[in-house]
Amino acid sequence: MIRFIIPLIAILLFFLEPIFSLFSPIEMNGNLYVTVPRFLIVYLIFIATYYTSKRAIIYGFVLGLLYDMYHIDIIGLYTFMYPLICYVAALVIRQIERHTVTVMVLSVVMIVLLELLSYFFASVIALTSIDFGEFFTSRLVPTMIANSLFIVMFGYMFKQITEKRFLQKQAGF
Amino acid sequence: MPRFFSNKRLIILLVGVIVLVALIAFSLRDRNHANVPEQAVKDVVGFGQSLVTKPAHFVTGLIENIDTMLNTYEENKRLKKRLETYAAMQAELVDVKANNVKLRGIIDKQEDLRAFEPIQATVISRNPDQWEEKIIIDKGTTAGVDVNMAVMTAQGLIGKVILSTPFTSTVELISTENSDFRVAAMVVGQEEMFGLIEGYDRTSGQLIMKRLDSSFNVKKGMQVISSGLGGIFPKGILIGEVTEVSTDDYGLTKLAYIKPAATFSQLDHVMIAKRSMTVVDGTDGGNSATTKGDDES
Repeated sequence: MIRFIIPLIAILLFFLEPIFSLFSPIEMNGNLYVTVPRFLIVYLIFIATYYTSKRAIIYGFVLGLLYDMYHIDIIGLYTFMYPLICYVAALVIRQIERHTVTVMVLSVVMIVLLELLSYFFASVIALTSIDFGEFFTSRLVPTMIANSLFIVMFGYMFKQITEKRFLQKQAGF
Repeated sequence: MPRFFSNKRLIILLVGVIVLVALIAFSLRDRNHANVPEQAVKDVVGFGQSLVTKPAHFVTGLIENIDTMLNTYEENKRLKKRLETYAAMQAELVDVKANNVKLRGIIDKQEDLRAFEPIQATVISRNPDQWEEKIIIDKGTTAGVDVNMAVMTAQGLIGKVILSTPFTSTVELISTENSDFRVAAMVVGQEEMFGLIEGYDRTSGQLIMKRLDSSFNVKKGMQVISSGLGGIFPKGILIGEVTEVSTDDYGLTKLAYIKPAATFSQLDHVMIAKRSMTVVDGTDGGNSATTKGDDES
């Protein structure tokens, strides 16, 4: 049963991201703030930490490919970035203690890394013309705050599920 | 300290990077057409997406309903005042419309740039990394949606279709940074003042209308609608209201800032305008290479 729950949650998060982006940009004091939902990558980092990094990279690759084909129409951006982030996260988590809070902090750091990468690609392909200062205030910081909320709300649940599956697998299911 | 990359992994990574760069280059070349596998992916993912989005729209709709219910008393008072003038205007409109039909009959002119067949659609997703202003709707070529058609809400124009597969379509919003996105528009006044909507000012959230002849007397507060002369959009879709008029870089033509009538966040139901009259690939079809050449000459 739980065997199917892991990929199901990943697919659900994949479908939830574009719904939450319908609420963006948020207007506050006359300024527009873009919040980018990065739910899926958070979940993949939890999988990489508590389950296996290989599984996380495979999910990242497949869902990244779908993301590129469905939303971006450029194949290869998220197909590359999602597995890369999972790989880096797995490397980092090997060096530090696997406490829920440290994984949560790591997820936020990885979201920042993903945003920076995506900003880099978007400026190279000339999808955007905003400078770094504007990117930082109107996009990176709001995205960090919004996703931190998500991580605090669901991080513990993700940990429970992925850890449970890992123990189950070790028991030989 | 473990080694970051073993030899095998390094090779896999390098090959992967090369393949992906090739893929990016390949797909960047032709973004406005989806090949068969891409269409299949879009349709399947779009179907799954609509299964998740429609309940979400239902929930947000409920919350909005509660929100409006709280304001009902205030709103009711305000609307009652407007209703009196509305009745008079309604009567006048019916009269003018009937007159129009009669006059058209006399001069034997049946076709109208204004006429269009509306296709109702639901927004199922928005590009989550919002580098481009794109939304995806749940109607595609099977419902008659085609590339470059105008997309609007009840408030006004929001964008145009840039890609359509059998069951989904991608819409680029008018608030895009893409400079190839043009709409042939006109300012409504005593005379029709034609111009082109080109570009969006992100900081103020306003559209920029260029190439207005300097003899035109454009004033603040005038309404801007689509002119129908771009070849694809029907005439008369509300775009917005002029907020500021200045001259362009060379001082030859006027430039107007327009506050869009529609809002671009929280879109749920939209309408695609399928023009009844012949469609030609003109200014509205930003994809055509000739459009660019025309402007430069």
